[in-house]
Amino acid sequence: MILKIFLKELKDTLRDKRTLIMMVVIPVLVFPIVLNLFVTVSSSFEKDAAMQRVKIGFVGDAQSPVIAGFLEMPAAMGKKDLIPYPNEKALLQDVKNDSLQMGIIVPDNYQEKMDSMEAVTCEVYYDATDLGIKDRAKSYMEYVEKSARDKRYKSMNLDETKFQVILTNYNNTASDKEMIGKLAGGILPYIFIAFGFIGCMYPAIDLFTGEKERGTIETLLTTPVSRLQILIGKMCVVALSGLLAATCALVGLYLSIEVFNLVDNEEILSIVRGILTPSFIIMLFLLLFPLTVFFAGVMIPIAVYAKSFKEAQSIITPLNIVMVLPAMIGLLPGIELNYMTACIPVINVVLATKELIAGTLEPVLLLLSFGIMVTLAMIAVFVSYRHFGKETNIVM
Amino acid sequence: MIKVENLRKEFPLGRTLQKELATKEKIAVAVDNISFQCQPGRIFSLLGPNGAGKTTTMRMLSTIFKPTSGNIEIAGINAVTNSRDARRKIGFLTGSTGLYARLTPNELIKYFADLYEVSDADFKIRKEKLFDLLDMNDFQNKRIGKLSTGMKQKVSICRTMIHDPEVIVFDEPTSGLDVITAENIISLIRDCKNDGKTVIFSSHIMSEVDLLCDDMAIVHKGKLLYNGTMENFRSNQQESSLTAEFIRIIHESNAATV
Repeated sequence: MILKIFLKELKDTLRDKRTLIMMVVIPVLVFPIVLNLFVTVSSSFEKDAAMQRVKIGFVGDAQSPVIAGFLEMPAAMGKKDLIPYPNEKALLQDVKNDSLQMGIIVPDNYQEKMDSMEAVTCEVYYDATDLGIKDRAKSYMEYVEKSARDKRYKSMNLDETKFQVILTNYNNTASDKEMIGKLAGGILPYIFIAFGFIGCMYPAIDLFTGEKERGTIETLLTTPVSRLQILIGKMCVVALSGLLAATCALVGLYLSIEVFNLVDNEEILSIVRGILTPSFIIMLFLLLFPLTVFFAGVMIPIAVYAKSFKEAQSIITPLNIVMVLPAMIGLLPGIELNYMTACIPVINVVLATKELIAGTLEPVLLLLSFGIMVTLAMIAVFVSYRHFGKETNIVM
Repeated sequence: MIKVENLRKEFPLGRTLQKELATKEKIAVAVDNISFQCQPGRIFSLLGPNGAGKTTTMRMLSTIFKPTSGNIEIAGINAVTNSRDARRKIGFLTGSTGLYARLTPNELIKYFADLYEVSDADFKIRKEKLFDLLDMNDFQNKRIGKLSTGMKQKVSICRTMIHDPEVIVFDEPTSGLDVITAENIISLIRDCKNDGKTVIFSSHIMSEVDLLCDDMAIVHKGKLLYNGTMENFRSNQQESSLTAEFIRIIHESNAATV
């Protein structure tokens, strides 16, 4: 009987345009759109930054090693105009009103300092809201400083290499897969969880509040089917809808990479292809299934209690933030899956998925996370049943 | 047969409801100790003004609500202790019943037949008979959401009858319907009676009651004011019309309560 209810509700749900848009269309499109947007914006930003001609104002002697260093700079370091300024006040004014991207003050006593082998302190001004200008100013000044240092070593007949006492080589022991898993791996489960929730939302409201509003629940309750059977049949559809939305998000990711070729970095491509394996997908769904049942279990009592579609929507929509917030915590660096975090719902799924992507997931922690989610899902089913059984909740 | 004994239904009143109803009572008594019997092959009408307790009684008969106390017997089955078996014997139709708009009449009728565990062979025979009788063949594969009110009502009737119930509960079945659709329902109620089924229907349309009923009960504020045959009611009526007599009884009850 549960199967019959499930199949009917599934058919009914799949014929609802609003649910289909939320459950299939948006999740499929989100990855291609986000990736496309990211690639377009970042490539145009990089292009703009390289092409942009910066105006650099300076106060001080044009013959000083600082300004001379700027003039010697290779063209590959970006196009620039050097503009002399009579005083610091006018220079600062122009940096503030964006007429200049950078301002340099060369002290009047630079020659004295050079002669006495002391360091010359230069002031560099920039507006950090102009993205990328700080890095550009830093690279220019590093070039100028190195050029002046080389000249000083030369004038002193010194070998620069003799002053390098310790040379450090930094070696990363994490594989590329682990790096992606730990750093960016949280984004994927976050998206799956968010869509899992959204996917559950409309069917939950439609199958419970909607039935109440349309008056169909009354006829269903007069059939010789128990309320528990009705609840489980409907709940399975709600949970499946959440899983379907998460699956569609996964399909969207696959399409972005394999069909639309939105990622052209070979390293990232091979890592993502390595992630999209049957074993990863099975493990992911093992975690997402109890999560969507839990989501369904949280939404159903609200949907049963609400008197109208609008009322249910207005309560469940803010709940989205409450539920997805722990998923965002999982994105933070330093938060790892351990015996404590494995017991916190939603966070455990995010962290376990991250570890899964990185290939560092411990089976005990996976089982613990799964166990916690299954327990919560069962509690959610029980709570839903209690609410669904209340006479005042099921008929208007 | 339907046998109702000392039926009572209380609803807890939360703070919001207490405020809305301007009362400090913690419970509201919707149905207060009522008893009646409906015989097979006869039509029993439950009359009463809005808020009298008709719908609550009908919902208890169809096992949607559980009585606070009292007993209901449906075709020999105790509907309070064995509601699931009782439900197999009941067909329930209201004027406000919704249908699944995204299903076709064919799919909906099959779904309910499955829920009532009707065998495939019985389903085929009954479906054919009901679809012919209600002239539903032309729109059996159209989505219900695209059907007219009259067509929808036919689908509702078909859904109520697909498991061939012994007892049929009609809760204000013609409310809000046009004359032609209402006539279909009236004719169905008459057919049910002729088939020897037990029929109970609640209404506040006196002409329907006058036309159809063999027995009737009047409820007001959850209490039973009259229970007997239509013949007996007519022979004792003090006013010229059924409507006027009904109003008199209600006013008399109100005056007695004050």
